[in-house]
Amino acid sequence: MSTSDGGETIDIADDVDHQVAMVMDLNKCIGCQTCTIACKTNWTDGGGREYMYWNNVETKPGAGYPRDWEELGGGWDEEGDERTPGDLPAQEDYGAPWDFNHEQIMYEGSDEPLRPMDNAADWSPNWDEDEGAGEYPNSYYFYLPRICNHCTHPSCVEACPRSALYKREEDGIVLVDQDRCRGYRYCVEGCPYKKVYYNAMKKTSEKCIFCYPRIEGEGPDGEVRAPACAEDCPPQLRLVGYLDDEEGPIHKLVNEYEVAVRLHPEYRTEPNVYYIPPFAPPQHAADGETTDEDRIPREYLEELFGPAVNDALETIEREREKVNRGEDSEVMEMLTTTDTSDQYRLEVFDEA
Amino acid sequence: MKRNELLLVAVLAAVVIGATAVLPPGVGAQSERGIPVEYTATADDLDSVTGNGWEEVQSVTVPLSSAGADVPSADDVTIEQMRAQAVRTDSRLYLRISWADPTRDTSEASVREFADGAAVQLPTDGDQQPPIAMGSRESPVNVWYWSGSGETEELFAGGPGTTTQFQQTTVATEHTYADGRWQVLFTRQLAPDEPNRTTVPSAADEETSVAFAVWNGSNMEVAGQKSASQWHRVAIGPAPPAYERVLWAVAGVAIVITTLVTIQGIRHTGGDGS
Ligand code: SF4
Ligand code: SF4
Repeated sequence: MSTSDGGETIDIADDVDHQVAMVMDLNKCIGCQTCTIACKTNWTDGGGREYMYWNNVETKPGAGYPRDWEELGGGWDEEGDERTPGDLPAQEDYGAPWDFNHEQIMYEGSDEPLRPMDNAADWSPNWDEDEGAGEYPNSYYFYLPRICNHCTHPSCVEACPRSALYKREEDGIVLVDQDRCRGYRYCVEGCPYKKVYYNAMKKTSEKCIFCYPRIEGEGPDGEVRAPACAEDCPPQLRLVGYLDDEEGPIHKLVNEYEVAVRLHPEYRTEPNVYYIPPFAPPQHAADGETTDEDRIPREYLEELFGPAVNDALETIEREREKVNRGEDSEVMEMLTTTDTSDQYRLEVFDEA
Repeated sequence: MKRNELLLVAVLAAVVIGATAVLPPGVGAQSERGIPVEYTATADDLDSVTGNGWEEVQSVTVPLSSAGADVPSADDVTIEQMRAQAVRTDSRLYLRISWADPTRDTSEASVREFADGAAVQLPTDGDQQPPIAMGSRESPVNVWYWSGSGETEELFAGGPGTTTQFQQTTVATEHTYADGRWQVLFTRQLAPDEPNRTTVPSAADEETSVAFAVWNGSNMEVAGQKSASQWHRVAIGPAPPAYERVLWAVAGVAIVITTLVTIQGIRHTGGDGS
């Protein structure tokens, strides 16, 4: 469906009334993983979900979670009509439990300290945290928080031969019908972001639910609340609302100013999590002087966010200069507000 | 009826009964190809997958090929044939299938692990032959699904992607794996007292069909990526021979009596007319 009341065209899926969306400002992420833990304690702390991080925060450049997920395929072909099947990640790529020398210490009288067995500790989520790329003094990295993108054109939904995955009509949240799922894992392979997870205890697939009970008012105190990953984020870098809410900051940042961009748009699932791309100080020369060179290579950001990242960065640059000159900037206001009622458009969920 | 006529009846009856006694037990068996279901009065040596009785039961080789379903890698399947044996008592069906699979996959404990599997498909309504790929809405199927993880499910489907599990399972399975071969025994009442269950025919003139599928977990075969058979006729063996002979004897005696009564009647009529 496209709504065009305000002159703008907002693309949302044909069969949904609204589309939930998030904008995450990567310039504010401190990699504290509070969002990850908020999600985990709410939804994935047991029952076959131990290895799952519906919300994860990975260091970029880096292999991410699951390891090298960007190489595993999935998504759609260039025309966007045919699904391109991907591969299932190996369990170790999500981070498998390590073997420790308990046996030796407890039963065999070893004096060694408790430690992982030889070669056991060679991968885990965030194994490459803060490594990034580049050479001193021009090394660089940034954090990339990731949840399911509740895509407009979700290849996970298309992949399931049983139609167990679906987009909720009222708000476009993508869910797995646990009664229909038979654990075939086509969705796991089919999501190019690898944001559907197989629960080997339940033998079904599971994924981020955009904390739908919270936005429906079933959360703490029976109030409408934003998803836990957003509310618990110390620097409050996530905006939450409907993409098609023309009064909200998400619509403005994504559609009007085009400063919030999609991660890997070339996968063609049309994600509804948008990112304010990261800025970094320019490079330093050997003598310590600042140069004109971007510290984070522009090609790398294009690789992640597509060519739209260039305009987004330039627009933000212009808006920052405006503020520096003492002028008003709606963009910078939306990105720097500390008023959560501006950041979370909870009233749209209440009305729905 | 006069004394010599009574004697004739007795002689004819004796001949009829004698003849049925030496009739081969296979009379009335279906001769066309299919999965023969032999009759046995007791299944004591067949109710285990390794029971001795199975050595005596005819085994049919069933060719398998990709089911050609609309899933990725549908044609990447590894098992090309299986064997099937079937026996019934008055109330139960015993179906043993076996196939070669050098890798024994029983775990689904992590994301890339798939268990081996096998399925038996029957039309829900015995005299129909539904579309081979999980039937259709008009012509649904029952599926007995066995997983190498040890689970058995009894499923109902009305077309691809519609499989649902019956809450009550009426099928029991037992399996062994030896020398690179799975053997799986499925047993079930011929006519379970549950809705939407296939009634396995118990008379030779009733028909039904059966189809099979197997999955090789090591090759990550799952769902529609499977080696499947075509429909095969279920060739129900003769009713219990003793019972059949009694029926033949009764029928023979009835024919003799009818003949004699008719002769007698004609004589009577002729007598009246003379
Ligand atoms: S991110 Fe993946 S799991 Fe989430 S809707 Fe998109 S395709 Fe589906
Ligand atoms: S809680 Fe916020 S700042 Fe911390 S890792 Fe998550 S998104 Fe980044």
